[in-house]
Amino acid sequence: MTVAEAAKKLNGTVTGVQADTSREVLGGYVSDLLSDVMTNAQEGDLWVTLQKHPNIVAVAHVRGLAGVVLINGRQPEPETVARAIEEHVPIVSTSLSAFEAVGILYGLGVRRRRNL
Amino acid sequence: MHPPGIVKAALRAGVDAIAVCDHNSAENVAAVHRAGRKAGLAVLAGMEVTTEEEVHIVALLPDLESALTLQSRVYRALPGRNNDALFGLQVIANEEEEVLGFTDRLLVGATTWPVETVVAAIHELGGLAIAAHVDRERFGIIGQLGMIPPGLELDAIEVSARTPLPAARAQYAAPRGLSVLTASDAHEPKDVGKAVTYMLLERPEYAEVRQALAGRNGRAILGGGRPMEDLSLHILDIAQNAVEAGATRVDIDLVEDRAADLLAIGVRDNGRGMDRATAAAATDPFFTTRTTRRVGMGLPLLAAAARAAGGVLSLESEPGQGTRVKATFRYSHIDRAPLGDIETTLMVLLAGNPDVDVLFRHVVSGREFSLCSKDVRAALPGENLTSSHGLALLREAIRRGESQLAR
Repeated sequence: MTVAEAAKKLNGTVTGVQADTSREVLGGYVSDLLSDVMTNAQEGDLWVTLQKHPNIVAVAHVRGLAGVVLINGRQPEPETVARAIEEHVPIVSTSLSAFEAVGILYGLGVRRRRNL
Repeated sequence: MHPPGIVKAALRAGVDAIAVCDHNSAENVAAVHRAGRKAGLAVLAGMEVTTEEEVHIVALLPDLESALTLQSRVYRALPGRNNDALFGLQVIANEEEEVLGFTDRLLVGATTWPVETVVAAIHELGGLAIAAHVDRERFGIIGQLGMIPPGLELDAIEVSARTPLPAARAQYAAPRGLSVLTASDAHEPKDVGKAVTYMLLERPEYAEVRQALAGRNGRAILGGGRPMEDLSLHILDIAQNAVEAGATRVDIDLVEDRAADLLAIGVRDNGRGMDRATAAAATDPFFTTRTTRRVGMGLPLLAAAARAAGGVLSLESEPGQGTRVKATFRYSHIDRAPLGDIETTLMVLLAGNPDVDVLFRHVVSGREFSLCSKDVRAALPGENLTSSHGLALLREAIRRGESQLAR
């Protein structure tokens, strides 16, 4: 499943470069502590969070994540959008809660992956 | 919130200034400030603002008025109502410990402001923005945001009492040259002064602190630590005692010998010394000849720390012959107090007493670092040890010497 396909299932809107949403979702992670994501998320994960600070792009970029899902209808800050385009990190905004978003992704077969 | 109790606790801890930084509120600044003025304690206006990302930013503000302006802006950005049963009553008190009222805003909550907005709001009022307890995962900027956002215009970062300064400097400050402070983050009077920052200032007041954080006009951050715990600050305390006893020369010996399982501290001075009765009383917790503030907890606490770690404290003194204090510890003893930050000891001692000859010797398993204040002064012809160049040179010499011991 690609980020674009996941965004559709979450009824979300995509921020960033459309071409970046063709990236394959290899796993999933959910956390609002960015230090925790830096330590525990795996390359190719789709990351579910309520944080919309520009640092989420840096974290996603450094960890090589497939993309970021913002929950509860949260929209990225303008600076976050600019960096997302620059770093090719797709951001999906959904009105679903983290619980619902993760439930849907899990139902689609997305799993937490342990250390590779 | 009991303003006189806070002031009393601060004076007992020997600090010259505190900042009152309630969560998202400045309601109690005025009362503590007035209580402090009566007792001779400087009280700075502050606030600990929670950003939208749940990062804590400490604001230090020029005066009460700017603190109250920040408060009214923060209140508008602060959703939610307090639940007394969960978080307790949020009391507004005056300096007589009378309750003036309560605030029902959810002060423990987060504002709707991103961290950049909080920093900008503080700066707009002429304040200082300090990232609070960056060593804590929850509410610390690195924990919440993975890293300090590049371009965020912080004035300093603060580490909690649990992280010793040398570790904090290596881990958090180096990349951006930000000043590192430490503070007690006291939520109760008993914790006031548990961790302190030493600054070289003319007076303990906001404008001076501002210059110290920027390292301007001869003001500087000298270091910090836990005065009741760190052995390095006990050493500073004894050395300060020596200077107050009129010493013109203080020799400090610090020996760490892991093979012999020994940590030994020796401080010798040429001050006026004490007679036998006074020397015997000096380790009594209720005895002091000091009329000014002390730095640490004094000899009685050091004696207790030595005993707790399988060691002893001895004191030799004679009138006119100076004083010699020696404390030993079992190095590996589980209750042995941490050494703390030697850089702070030397910076505060030398910058605070630039005319006293200090000879410091630190031996770690046979390797030795020694520093003589005469040599530092000799390297600064026509310049003061407390000039910014002088302090930088001193700091550099201490860091180089200490880092070679750590290898």
